[in-house]
Amino acid sequence: MITSVATTIFDPKLILFDVEAEDSTELLRKLSFKLLEEGYVKESFEEAVIEREKVYPTGLPTPGIMVAIPHTNPEHVLKPVILFANLKKPVMFKEMGEGTNDIPAELVFMLAVENPSKQIEILKNLMGIFSKKEVLLSIKESTDVAGVIDILKAQGI
Amino acid sequence: MKRVIVACGSGVATSQTVASKVKDLLEDRGVYAEVEAVDIKSLDTYIKNCDIYISITPNASTDFDIPVISGIPFLTGMGMDEALDEVLKALAK
Repeated sequence: MITSVATTIFDPKLILFDVEAEDSTELLRKLSFKLLEEGYVKESFEEAVIEREKVYPTGLPTPGIMVAIPHTNPEHVLKPVILFANLKKPVMFKEMGEGTNDIPAELVFMLAVENPSKQIEILKNLMGIFSKKEVLLSIKESTDVAGVIDILKAQGI
Repeated sequence: MKRVIVACGSGVATSQTVASKVKDLLEDRGVYAEVEAVDIKSLDTYIKNCDIYISITPNASTDFDIPVISGIPFLTGMGMDEALDEVLKALAK
């Protein structure tokens, strides 16, 4: 039996569209709550991911469409999943690395990583799409869950 | 064998991904090095025994005797060839 990776690391209930937030903290609260509701993270995940974002920001200046990949330590995670959110309006994140530049993120991949060494291939393939402008644009244009999953699947995620 | 360390906030996700990517890129060029992801809090312990430090955290101190290279190009693909050249150059020393 062939088990698709896309159906194991993504959850159709956690592929979200038209998500709105005034700032990154509000967005992280909303998305953390979704993860909690679906049983993927502990209650402590929300504060942990917000605090980590302040110290180690996760915005990336990817070509065409900018992204953010908020995540935190595995101790706050119950089951691994990647939440995807297509934002209605860009939300400002700080750039990973020096943390000085603003990144208006339009796509957010929130990583609930439980065992990084087990999920490394998926993470590497995910990072792989961040250099592909056309793929990012087509994900941004997708308006339904199946469309997003098809694109990600084709990229080996 | 030369040793490269990659540090991010928690030693998960980003640093692991960058470490694995750098290792693959080096192997593609026939360069074998130990590439390890570490937690920023344990950086002081590891830095003494490595040849290159790839940083993906803010306020990275450059006050080290070894080359410090930004790991962001390995995530976004932009400027990756240049970053890889820097790593290769530093490893060739």
